[in-house]
Parts: sequence; structure tokens; C-alpha cells
Amino acid sequence: MNEEQIKQELEDKFSFLKDAVSITRKGRIFAQVPLDKFEAVFAHALKKMNFTALSAVTGLDRGDGFEVIYHLNRDGAIVLNLKVLLEKENPQVKTITGYCPSADIYERELMDLLGIKVDGLAPGQRYPLSDDWPKGEYPLRKDWKGPTSAKEAQNA
Amino acid sequence: MLKALFQILIFPGVLFLFVFGLCGEFIDRKLCARFQNRIGPPWFQPLADFIKLVSKEEIIPEEADIKVFKLMPVLALTASSVSILYIPTLAERSAFSFNGDVIVVLYLLTLPTFTYFLGGWYSRGVYSMIGAVRSLTQLFAYEVPLFLVILASALLADTWSLSGMVAFYSRHLGYWFCNIIGFGVALICFLGKLEKVPFDIPEAETEIVAGSFTEYNGRLLALIRTSFNIEMIVGASLLAAVFLPFGLNLWPALIFPFYLLQVLFIIVIITFLRLLFARLRLDQMISFCWRFLAPLAFLQVILNLIFKAVLPR
Amino acid sequence: MHKYGDVIVPIGPQHPALKEPESFLITLRGEKITASSVRLGYNHRGIEKACEERTYTQGVYLIERVCGICSHSHSTAFVQAVEEIAGVEIPARAKYIRTLIAELERIHSHLLWLGVAGHEIGFDTLLMYTWRDREVVMDLLAKLTGNRVNYGINTIGGVRRDVSVKQKEEVLKAIDTLEKQTKYYIDLATKETTLLKRLQGVGVLSHEDAISLGAVGPTGRASGIARDTRKDDPYAAYGELDFKVISVDNCDVYGRTLVRLGELIESFSLVRQVIAKIPDGPITVRVPRKIPAGEVLSRYEAPRGEDVHYVRSNGTEKPDRVKVRAPTLANVQSVSKMLEDRYLADMPIVIAAIDPCFSCTDRLIALRDTQTKKSNTVIWETIRLKGIEWYKQQGVDFTALNKKLSKKLHL
Repeated sequence: MNEEQIKQELEDKFSFLKDAVSITRKGRIFAQVPLDKFEAVFAHALKKMNFTALSAVTGLDRGDGFEVIYHLNRDGAIVLNLKVLLEKENPQVKTITGYCPSADIYERELMDLLGIKVDGLAPGQRYPLSDDWPKGEYPLRKDWKGPTSAKEAQNA
Repeated sequence: MLKALFQILIFPGVLFLFVFGLCGEFIDRKLCARFQNRIGPPWFQPLADFIKLVSKEEIIPEEADIKVFKLMPVLALTASSVSILYIPTLAERSAFSFNGDVIVVLYLLTLPTFTYFLGGWYSRGVYSMIGAVRSLTQLFAYEVPLFLVILASALLADTWSLSGMVAFYSRHLGYWFCNIIGFGVALICFLGKLEKVPFDIPEAETEIVAGSFTEYNGRLLALIRTSFNIEMIVGASLLAAVFLPFGLNLWPALIFPFYLLQVLFIIVIITFLRLLFARLRLDQMISFCWRFLAPLAFLQVILNLIFKAVLPR
Repeated sequence: MHKYGDVIVPIGPQHPALKEPESFLITLRGEKITASSVRLGYNHRGIEKACEERTYTQGVYLIERVCGICSHSHSTAFVQAVEEIAGVEIPARAKYIRTLIAELERIHSHLLWLGVAGHEIGFDTLLMYTWRDREVVMDLLAKLTGNRVNYGINTIGGVRRDVSVKQKEEVLKAIDTLEKQTKYYIDLATKETTLLKRLQGVGVLSHEDAISLGAVGPTGRASGIARDTRKDDPYAAYGELDFKVISVDNCDVYGRTLVRLGELIESFSLVRQVIAKIPDGPITVRVPRKIPAGEVLSRYEAPRGEDVHYVRSNGTEKPDRVKVRAPTLANVQSVSKMLEDRYLADMPIVIAAIDPCFSCTDRLIALRDTQTKKSNTVIWETIRLKGIEWYKQQGVDFTALNKKLSKKLHL
């Protein structure tokens, strides 16, 4: 199954993915998935299309909202990147640890660094910030500045 | 009285053992380093370490039982130094020789391990307690084969005194070869006694930091290190007396240098052995001791009984 | 102390078995491990956020410092991503030089691992031997790049230093020495009894578990996952080189050792091929300072496994988001599985067998109070009380001790 076929299958199976899937180069597929349909697409890719390995979960702040990207890997060669957009206020995703246990640590990272709530994630130790990190401070958000850069900005 | 005091404090007692122990430690460390392609320490390093430790502040854990914690290193040092008095060094006859002294020496050599256990246990640290339990568990594994092979040697010589054994094997050189299995078994058990690789399980650095001695520092640690050195010397002397052709009927003046040589020979073998292996796990160590060493030791006992009946006296 | 005599043993944040601060809490019943948990994050330095506030060129050097051992892996993954967004094709010679450094780095990392593994099971002679031999490759890297670690050879659009004819000869000579030594270690690892006893059947991670827990690199390949980014998704010059992906089905620490030793041999052959095939030509091309908007996922087979970098640009000189997924983060989650029902004595080698690199794993943030905007001075007493509190939460209670101490300190 090559990239084109994967794109075709995704588009056939999920009508809302029409024009949302793009192949950027050999082995890289990006797909924009609506938040409410994400779980269905994810489960399908994992179970039916053999994207068994979760490479990483990236969270990022777009300014007007958040974005979470799930990087799924198939036989090491093809990476399917499923992108989900979240609103700025109260960003929330559902946990995927039920599908792949390895997602646990990536989801904790989302919680700690971006303040994205992960629904259904089993309680556990936080990662990667320290236990005494102040509540409500999410360093990877664009409006968050570290003390050094805040000072620099002031001087400039 | 004065003579006895000299024997206990100077020779062959504490001072001699201390100096010889430092030499032994140096040889062990230097050889080890050279075999591992390192330069190794200068000759005074063991002494420098000792002085450094002695001059350091002493910190005792709050939770620890202070009396036991302080007493145990002293006890270990005493027990291991006293036992040299029953082992022949200067002449074929030791200072306080009597029939049955071999049992006293074995008993005195077991004491330090118990003190390490108690010291570790009453330090109340997690690593110390695990180390303490391990050193005691290990004791039950190597002690039996060690006792058995020494028993075998005593059976053949038909005496329970170390001096008597030395005299016997010096006169009957051929008999020495009968004990060769026993010597091998005793060497391996000795590695366990000294807690060296592959049997350094009670103080496995990467698992439990320093085992029983994790909480020890300063003077007390210096005492423990010294008692380990002395244990090494005394143990090697014991093996030399029991298994090596000690006096060879030489001139009395040559006996002492020859004794030193034999002890160093055993230390070198121990160093070789500890360089060659990875650390075993506790369960592997115990099964090794009971499956291989104990049967071999029994074999030695049976062989020696047969030899005793068959060979001419 | 807990019910049934269970003891919780803290392994870390500072412990001789760990070369970097990470905390494993291990529950012991006798010598058996009944439960274990991991707490990561002690090495968090804020690199991802810092990258967003710096230019791409500055980012290369910052990213290189994510990790000391696999610094070339991270910087290559990052520059590859930036070059791909900018649509730049780097010269062939630069690709070969990157590959050369990458393989030398793999050799140095695997030799380092072998030594550490030896130390963890108390075989210090092995540690001393392998690290002596590792100096050969370290010297080589210093000659080629100017540094023993953090080579600084990558730049956006190529590499910064060329390889001379004389250097090529030196490389070949050093590789011959290393290959001879490595063959000796392979012989040793497959025959030495105590080594086998300590490695075989220890830290088992089944094929299914390895997939579901997302194990990568040698950890995955020792559980039969024959995946290697160099083969599956070739980058740099790997597409033109011939090599095997080493994978075994042992699923234990011994298998991981075999995989790494096998990879060493493959790396020697790769270095020789690179030296033979390296084309002439320029080593760098110009890349504009402003990188057009776009997003790229860059992958790289680091010595410890697949290294994933995600870079998103916004048309300025600074990246919008840089995400680093170091291989250890993927592997560390399988440690608890591997420790299940093992002995305490197996703990160091099981943890070491994934070749953990925690500084890679943790990346972000300076530790300062951001609300009051001042860096508070922490006094010793605060740290101590915090430590006691933290351990209490983990189930290790120091209350009695705490009381006694408080009395002494008149608190």
C-alpha cells in the first residue's frame, strides 16, 4: 500500500476527509481531521491500515487555538500525521491510551506544557515539569515568556 | 605478659596486619588497574585513603542505633586481627597454638560478616538493610563448602591444630596434592568472604550503592576497610597454612619470607579471579555454591578419608 | 516499610546505577521486584521553547545540545527538517560527510553502552576495555570535527568542515583497529558464562509488548521489530549505501547486546563505503535566512533508536514550533514491563539496556517562579523539607526522622 492508496482509502472511508489529506513527500501524509471524528479515523488507521506505531504526539499553539498532531507510523516507512484543531478556551482531547499505551507520556506532555486537557487519562505522575511548577503556567503557549526572554523584550 | 602484648599489638598482631593489609590492597588495586589498561594508584594510595577517611567528620544517621553502629566496625577489626595469633607466620608453630585452633580461626573469621550484617541492619537505611540481608544470605552459601574442605585437610593431617597441619604437610610433601580440589573450592569461597566480584553481591554498587556500608563514613568506614584488608591477609594466611606446602622443611629464617610469598600469591589469584567475571545474582550465587562447590567439597572429604586409609603415613 | 514486608527502594534521582537524574521507585519483596514506577523530567531545560525564540541557525547549535552522546543525531534531524521546508537540496559530499559522522557517532555510542552494561553487572574489566577502544573513535571525531562531542559540523544547507585525503586514511586505519576489538567483544559476549547468566532471559519484552509500547531502535530490534529509519526512510547518503538491519528474536537484554554489537560491524562497513564513495564537490549551499511557511516531520536513526523532529515554520527567521521526540522517551515506557517479576540485581542492567539518555528525553524550561518574576533563592532547609514531603507521597516515610531532626534544628 503506497501513499496514494492510503490517501484514497482515507478519503473513501471518511467523506469529510475529502481534500483534507495531502502527501507532502514520499512517506509523509498529513490529514486534517475534525475533532469529533478523530477517534474513528485514528482507530481505523491503527486497526485496519496497519499504522501500529505511534511515533509521537505534538501539541502546538497556533495563537487562535491549539493543534495536536498524532504521528503514526506504518512499517517504519510511511508516517501519517493526523492533525486536530482545538479551540483556544478550554482545549480538550480524548485520550488514546486505550489504543496505544505508549501515548501516555506524550499526553502528559500536552497537559503540562500546553495546558490541553486529556480526557480519560489515568492519574499518574506529571511529565516533564517539576512538582512545584506553578498552576496555570503553560510554557509552550505563545503568550508565555520565560523570565529571560521577558526581560529581553522589555529592554528591546 | 609483655611478649603476649607484643604479639597482639605489633607482630603478628594489629600493626603487622595493618601494614601488610595496606600492601595487599595496593597490590590488588595496582594489578587490577594494570590488567584493565589503567595506570593505577601510587604505592602510598591505600595509606593516604586511610588517613583521609580517619580525618573526616563522622556522620551517624539519626535513625541508626548508635551503639551498634559504632561498635560493629571495631568488633570486625578485633575479630579478624585476633585470629592471626593462631596461624603460623614466623615459625611452623603459631603464637597461641593448641589442638582445635582451626575451629577458633574459622569462628573468628565468620564474626566480621555478622558484624557487617548488624552494622548494616542497624543503620536503618534501605540500601544498608538490603545489603545486610544479602551478606548474611551469602554467608550461608559459601561457609559450608569452605568449612568442609578445611575439615578434609585436617582429616588427612589428623590434627585440629593449624600448626600441626603445617608440620604434617611440610614433612609429607606428596600429601599436599591430595588437597588440590579443596584449594580451588576454598579460593572461590574466599572470594565470597571478601565480597569481591563475582560475589560482591552484598555491596553491589549499581544496585544498592555500598550495601551494608552505605551509611558509614569517616573513621568507622576506615575501620571497616582496614578490617576487610586484614580479613584478606588472615584468610590468605589460613589458606596458605591449610593448603600450601608451608614450611617445606626450610631453614627457620626462610619460613617468614616464604609465608609472605604464599599470601601474596593467593592475593594475586584473587585479583585475577575478580577481573574475569561479571557479578552473579544472589540466587545464581547460592545455587552455584550448593550445586558445584558443596559436592566438590564433599568429594574432597571422601577422597581424603580414602587417602588416609590407603596412603602410608 | 509496608505490609507483607514490602520495601520501597528509591533508585534515583541520584543513584550509582543511573548516569543521569531520573527517579525509579521500586517495590521489593525480598529480592523480587513487585512494582515499579518512573518519574522523568529532572533534566528539563526548555530547549523547545528556546528554539522558538531563536533563529534557525542558532537553533542548530541549541538542538545539538539536547544530548551529549547523540548530538549529531538531533542536529541532523533538525537541519534536515529545515532544509526540507526551505526546499533546499544539499550537495552530495555534505550528505556523505553527515553519514560519516553519524556512523562514527553510532560506533562511539554503542561502545559506550557496552562499557556501561559491563559496569552495571559488575564486570568492570569490560568497561575499561571498551572505553579504551572508544577513545580511538573519539579521537577520530575530534580530528574530523574539532570536538569529541557536540561536533558542530551541521549547518543549514550542508556541513561546515571538509574531510581531507589524509583524514580519510586515518579513519580507515582506526576502523580496522576497532573492528578487530569489536570481534573480540562479540566473542566474549557470546561465550563468557557469567555474562550470559546475567544477560539471558533478563528484561524480557515480548514482540507484542514492544509494538504496543512503541519500542524503537535496538530495544525494538531485539524484540523482532526489524525497523531502521536508515533503511525504511533513507536520509543523507543511506539510500546509496549497502547495509543490513540487525534484528533478533531473543527479546531480552542479551538480544539487545547482540543487536548493538552487530550494528557496530555494520557501521564499520558503512564507514568504509562512505570513504570509498564520497564524491568531490562543494560541501554547502546558501539557504535564505527566512524559511517559508510549512511543516515537516524529520526522522533519523540515532544510536538509541528513531529520533523524530517536527518543525513548523511561519515565514520568519524563527521557527514556530520545534518538537523533539528522543528515542529514550519511546523506550522508557517499556522499562516497567521489563522489570516485572525480576530481581533487584537485574534492575541496573534492564534500565541500562534501553541505553537511556534522559537529557535527550527531557527538554524544556528554566526553573523560576514566573508569577513573581524573580528567581527565588532556595535554601537548603526548603529542599530538605520538600524532599521529605515528596518521598512521603511516594510511600517512603521519614516522619520519625523528621521530628527528631526538627527538634535538633529548633524548627
